[in-house]
Amino acid sequence: MRGARQVALYGVVALVLLWTLVPLVWMVLSSFKSPDDLVSSTPRLLFAPTFEHYIGLFTGGNALGGYIKNSLIAAGASTLIAVVLGCLAGYGLARSRFRGKHHVSMWIISTRMAPIAAVILPLYAVFRALDLLNTTPGLIIAYLTFNLPFAIWIMNAFFADLPVALEEAAMVDGASRFGAFWRVALPLTAPGIVTTGILCLVFSWNDYAFAQSFAGPGSQTLPVAASQLITQTGINWGQLMAIGTIVVLPMVIVGLAVRRYLVKGLTLGAVTGE
Amino acid sequence: MRRRASAAGAMGVPGGLSRRDFLKMSGAGLAGASLLGLAGCGEQSSQGGGEGWKQYSGMTLNFISENTAPTSAIAANLKPFKDLTGIDVKINQLELGALVQKVSLDVSSGDPSIHVIYADPYQVLAPFSAAFADLNDFEGDDSLPSVKKGFGDFIPTQLAAAGRFEDEEALYALPYDCPTMVWMYRKDLFEKYGDKMSQDLGFDPMPSDKITWDQYYEIANWFNKNASEVEYGSGHQSKQYDSLMCDFSNIMWSYGGDYFENGEQVGKIGTEDPGASLLDQDGAVEAATFYQKLVGISHPGSTSWDWTALDEAFRAGNIAMAPNWHEFAAGIEDSNLGGKVGYTRLPGGPTRSASMWGGTGLGINGELNEDEQRAAWLFLVWATSPETQLSGLKSNVGGGTPTRQSVYEQPEVKNATKPPTDLPNMLTYDAVSEAWKPENIGLRPKIEKWNECNTVIFTELSKMLAGDKGPEQAMRAAKEGFDRANGA
Amino acid sequence: MSTANPGGGKGGARRLVPSFEARMLLPALLLLAAISLFPFFYIIYMSFNEVSLIGGVDFEWVGLENWVEMFTDPNVRNSWITSGVYFIATVGLEMVLGIGIALLVHELVWGKNLVLSMLLLPMFVAPVIVGLLGRFLVDSTYGLYAWFLESTGLITWEILGSKTSALMAVILMDVWEWTPLITLIVLAGLSSMPQTVLEAAKVDGANYFQRLRHMVAPLISGVVVVALLIRSMDAIRYYDIISVTTNGGPADATKVIPIRLYETAFRFQELGYAAAIGLGMLAFSILVANLFMRILRGQERAR
Repeated sequence: MRGARQVALYGVVALVLLWTLVPLVWMVLSSFKSPDDLVSSTPRLLFAPTFEHYIGLFTGGNALGGYIKNSLIAAGASTLIAVVLGCLAGYGLARSRFRGKHHVSMWIISTRMAPIAAVILPLYAVFRALDLLNTTPGLIIAYLTFNLPFAIWIMNAFFADLPVALEEAAMVDGASRFGAFWRVALPLTAPGIVTTGILCLVFSWNDYAFAQSFAGPGSQTLPVAASQLITQTGINWGQLMAIGTIVVLPMVIVGLAVRRYLVKGLTLGAVTGE
Repeated sequence: MRRRASAAGAMGVPGGLSRRDFLKMSGAGLAGASLLGLAGCGEQSSQGGGEGWKQYSGMTLNFISENTAPTSAIAANLKPFKDLTGIDVKINQLELGALVQKVSLDVSSGDPSIHVIYADPYQVLAPFSAAFADLNDFEGDDSLPSVKKGFGDFIPTQLAAAGRFEDEEALYALPYDCPTMVWMYRKDLFEKYGDKMSQDLGFDPMPSDKITWDQYYEIANWFNKNASEVEYGSGHQSKQYDSLMCDFSNIMWSYGGDYFENGEQVGKIGTEDPGASLLDQDGAVEAATFYQKLVGISHPGSTSWDWTALDEAFRAGNIAMAPNWHEFAAGIEDSNLGGKVGYTRLPGGPTRSASMWGGTGLGINGELNEDEQRAAWLFLVWATSPETQLSGLKSNVGGGTPTRQSVYEQPEVKNATKPPTDLPNMLTYDAVSEAWKPENIGLRPKIEKWNECNTVIFTELSKMLAGDKGPEQAMRAAKEGFDRANGA
Repeated sequence: MSTANPGGGKGGARRLVPSFEARMLLPALLLLAAISLFPFFYIIYMSFNEVSLIGGVDFEWVGLENWVEMFTDPNVRNSWITSGVYFIATVGLEMVLGIGIALLVHELVWGKNLVLSMLLLPMFVAPVIVGLLGRFLVDSTYGLYAWFLESTGLITWEILGSKTSALMAVILMDVWEWTPLITLIVLAGLSSMPQTVLEAAKVDGANYFQRLRHMVAPLISGVVVVALLIRSMDAIRYYDIISVTTNGGPADATKVIPIRLYETAFRFQELGYAAAIGLGMLAFSILVANLFMRILRGQERAR
C-alpha cells in the first residue's frame, strides 16, 4: 500500500521534472549543435557536437568575458550592499516600537513595486547628473532600487521571528546592543541572510530592463548580450543557447551550494513588520 | 551582433575574406580618395580628402546602431578608421526598439553622450529631427574632408528618404543601409512545376513584376494543393509588429491605397502635419480584404512570424515563396537552398508594383559641441565611403548592400549579379535597382508620430487577421487611430 | 510620514534603546529614500505634464489630461483586462502548482534533496532568456514543443500566432520560471511543521486530505501568503518574457499593462501619459499588497 503510493508519487515527480528540465536540457544540447542541426524541422537528439557557438561568443569584437564580469560585479555588489544594509535596517525595524511602524514597512516594500518603464526616465536624469550612466556603479545603484527594499523587508521578518529574550540574555552578560545583534541575532538568522542574498542575486543577475537603459558598451550585462543576438537579419540561436547556458550556470552553482540554507531560510513567520 | 562579430573574427582564416584585404582596401582607398574626388567629380566644392582627417586624434566617439550587417562589419574592423583619424569608436549595437529608447533618454539629458546615431528615418529621425545636425554644414566646410563623389553618389530616393525631414535642403543623415522588399521564390520548384502550373492556372507563373497579387494568390494556392516539397505556397511576416505593416504596405500601394494624401512626398521628405489619413479609402480597404484572404491560405505560422522567422521558415523549406527583405539573400545562398532561390520584384496590383524600402542613415547628434560634431562627421564620411561599403558587401557574413551608385558600377560588383557569385546579396540587384526608382519605391510616411501610427496599423491588421474585425472595420479603426495620433 | 519618528524624536528621549534602532535603520532608509523618492515625485509631476525630450527634458503643464485619458482610453482598459487575466493565471497557477509540488516533494522518502535541486533550476534563468528559449521551443519551424504537439495532433496551429494559445504560452513560460520559487517557500514552511503533531493525527486515523485540511493548511498559510505577495509584486511589473516573444500580439492578446506602459513611454515618447499609467500600476500593486498583508495579519492573530 505504502509502496504503491510511493511509486505513484515518484511517477508524478518524474512528470514534474520532465516539465522543469526538458527546456533546460534542450537549451544546453542546442548550444552544442551546428546551425543545421539547430533549425532542423525534426528535432535531433543525436548530433555531432560543436563548440563553435562558445568560441564565437568569446572571440571577436565584443567578447562575452566583459559582459560576464559586469554581471558579476553589478549583481554581486548590489546584493552585498542590499544584504548588509538590509540586515541592519531589518533588525532595527524589527526591534523598534513606534506608531506608524506598519506604514514605514509598507512604504519600504512599496518602493519595490515601482513600475519599471516609468522610473527609467527619472533615474536616467539622476544618473546623468551624477555621471553614473554607462558605469557599473550606476547599475549597482539601479539594482538597489529593488534589492534594498526587498532585503529590509525579508530580514525584518526573520528578526521579528527571533525571540528577544536571547539578546536580552546576552546584554545581561555585558554585551552592547550592537554586540547582541552581531553575536546573537545575526548568526541565528544566517539561513535568512543566505536566502535574501540568493534572491537579491537572482533578481539583479536576471535584470534586463535597467541594464538595457543605463548600461553602455563598457558596462552591459549578460541578459543584454543575449538580447543583442537578435539582429535585423536573424536570431543566432546557437549562441543564444550558449549564453543561456552561461547565464544559468553560475546561478545554478550558487543556488545549489546554498540549497540547504534556502529551505531553512525561507521559513518565514511574520513579514508584516508588526 | 555576436554572430557577426565572431564570423568577422574568423575572417582572418585562410580562404575567407581576410582582415588584411579589408585594411588594404579601405586604407588605400581613402588615401586615394582625394585624387578620385578631383578626377571624378568636378562639381564637388571641396577636395578635402587627405586633409583634416587627423585633427581630432585622441577623441572617442560613441556610435549607437541597430544590430545590422554593415555595423557588424565595421565593428569588427575599426582599425582602419583609427589609423586614418586617431579616433576611437565605441559601438553600441542594439535591437531597434532598445535603440529608440536609448536615443530618447540621451536627448532628454540635455547633455548627450551619443555622437553618431543610426537614424531610422521613421522611428528615430522623424520624431527627433530637431536633435540632428545638418550635414550640409560639414560638407561645405573646407577644413573637413568631404563626402567622396559628393552627396549625389547616393541613390537619390534613398538620400531623400534616409536623410531629409520636412525640408528639401537640410540633410540629417547619409544612407547607410537599404533593405528592400523583394519576392523570394524557390526557383527549383517553379522550374519543376512551371508547365503544370501554367496549364492549371492559365498564365505563366514565372515570378516577375508582371504577375499580379491575385495571381500570386493563385500560385500560392496551387502550391498548397500540388507540391509536396513545401508545406505551404506562401508565408508572411504578419506578427503584430513592424513587419506586418511592411508586408501589408506593399500590397496597399499596389492597390492604389496610401496612408496620406500626397503619400510620395510624405514618404520621401516627410512632414510634421500629414493631415487626415486615407486608410479608410477604397484602395486601402481592398488591399486589406485581399491581404486577409492571402494570409488565410498562407502558412499558419505567418501570424507569429516577423521577417527573421519568415526567413527561417523559408530556409527550412516550409514555404515556396515570400515577400521579404533582399538582404536575407546572403543567408539563403549560404544555406542548403543556395542556388535554388530566385529574387524578383514584388507582384503588382491595379496601380503599380511597390517595394517597401527599409533603409537607414547615419546622423550626427546636433546637440554636441562643435568639435564632437566635426569628429563625428569624419566617421560618417568614412563609414559611408565606397570602400567601406564595398568591403561590407564582400563580408563573408553577408554584409549590407551599398547605398552608392558608384559601388554598383564597379565591374566586380556588376559581374556578381548572376550566379555563381561571391557577393550573394548582389543576386537581388536587378530587383532592387528597379525597386529604388522613384516610381517603384515604397516609402511609409515619415512623420513625427509614426511610431504610434505604425502600432495602430499593425495592431488593427493583426486584429483583422485574428478574425476580430473585418477589413473595412479594421481600416476605419486604423484611420481613426492615425488621425488621433496626428491631431487631424 | 513617521519615518523620522524612530530617530531622535520623542521616542528617543524616553530611553536609549530606540536611538540604537534608529541608527540601524537610518543608513538603509536614507539610501532608499534617495533612490526612490525623487523618481516617485518626478513621475507624479510628469503625470500632470506633457513631456518633451529633445534638448533636455521640458514640461508643459496639462493638468489632469493624462489622467482623464488613462481612465477613458479603451486600449488601456483592454490592457488592464489582459493584465488581470495574466496576473490571475500566472500567480494562480504558480500557487496551485507550487503548493502541490511542495506537498509532493515533502512526501518523498528518497532523493528529496536531489529532486528539489533540479526543480529549482528555472528560477535562475533570466526572464529575457526564458522568453527567447520559449520562443525557440514553440517555433513551428524547428521548435521541440511545437514539433511534439503537432506530431501528437494536440496543437496543429501556430502557438504564438493565435490569440488564446499565445496568451497561454507566455503564461506558461512565466509559470515555468516562477513555480519553483513558490515550491521552495512552501516547502520551507512544511519542513518547519512539528512532525509529532502530524504523526499523532495519523495514528488517530485521519487520512491525508483530512490532515492537509485541518493541520497543514493552517500551519503554512502564513508562508503561502508571503509567497503570494512576492510573486504578485513581480507579476504586475515584469514584461521581459512577453517583450521578447509576442510583444503584445497577436491582436493585442498579450498586451499586458507594463508592455503598454513601455510602449507609451519609449516608443511613442509620451512620458507624461506613461507616468499616469505607471502610477495606476503602482496603486494597484499597493492595493494588492495591502490586501495580502491584511490576510496575513489576520492569520497571525488567529494563530
